[in-house]
Amino acid sequence: MQQVDGAVENLLSDVLQIPASKITEDLAMKDVDAWDSLKHMELIVSLEQSFGIELSFDEIVAMTSVGEIKRVLSEKGTGG
Amino acid sequence: MELRGKKVIVTGGVRGLGRAMVDKLIANEAAVTVFDLNLAGLDELKRQQGSVNCVACDVSDHEQVSAAASHYHEKFGAADVLINNAGILYSEPLIKITPEGVVRHDAAMWNRVLSADLSSVFYMTACIVEKMITTRTRGVIVNISSVSAGGNAGQSAYSAAKAGVNALTAVWAKELSPMGIRVVAVAPGFTDTDSTKEAVSETALRETIKRVPLRRLGQPEEIAEGVLSVIGNDFFNGKVLELDGGLII
Repeated sequence: MQQVDGAVENLLSDVLQIPASKITEDLAMKDVDAWDSLKHMELIVSLEQSFGIELSFDEIVAMTSVGEIKRVLSEKGTGG
Repeated sequence: MELRGKKVIVTGGVRGLGRAMVDKLIANEAAVTVFDLNLAGLDELKRQQGSVNCVACDVSDHEQVSAAASHYHEKFGAADVLINNAGILYSEPLIKITPEGVVRHDAAMWNRVLSADLSSVFYMTACIVEKMITTRTRGVIVNISSVSAGGNAGQSAYSAAKAGVNALTAVWAKELSPMGIRVVAVAPGFTDTDSTKEAVSETALRETIKRVPLRRLGQPEEIAEGVLSVIGNDFFNGKVLELDGGLII
């Protein structure tokens, strides 16, 4: 499992209160107790503010893992 | 929020406070829809305010709310503002001492008031906010509470329901505001409406007016003005605006 660095990891670490070192590409919502629907919305708002984007509801629903978050951000032209 | 062109739903907008809100919203060029169970009242409202979209719906019935909200969304898309105003004002002490003996608060009326004044707010908000979230529509939910939320003798059910409304206001503000949806409440004191006169005896009302520093009842237009203020102020959130003439200080 490859560890990744960057803004998304820092943001996830901050919102979910887990060490950045534990955030991997395949870390998913189902793996983290703290990553419930309320935290998910907090995460979405933080991503929108950090990257200056607006996410559609379909994108929000799809972003349930670190990999998916990065894929959506990449599609929107952000570095992720 | 600027009201012009915004889609606003008012529950219980046929008479009293709701009607005053409808008139002010229309004067501010909002696109108003009224959910109300009073069919004759809806007809009369439509005659007087032709631009209003009228929906026959008992907002204390979850199935009716769900169906009416779906129909609204098909026709208009997500609403920008929901005003949860519908409800019933009901007074009865927990224990009545009568010539015939001791009588407990009517349990059926307890359920009816909780359903009309609290469950209706939950049903409407869930159905309307769901569409706002899925379309990323920013907006405002205004819950009409009451100063009775603090506990008014003789109003067990009504006070409990309105305290619940205040709690939902705080909960939803925390849950929904990150998505751009503010949730606020307006709590009128005793107001000059038919429902007040129907639920509160003339003697009790006279005594209440004596306790209001302004020595009068509020006017529906003054409450409606408060509702427009909290919609307009984008930093007012999760709080209850009390409009009671200074009754509770």
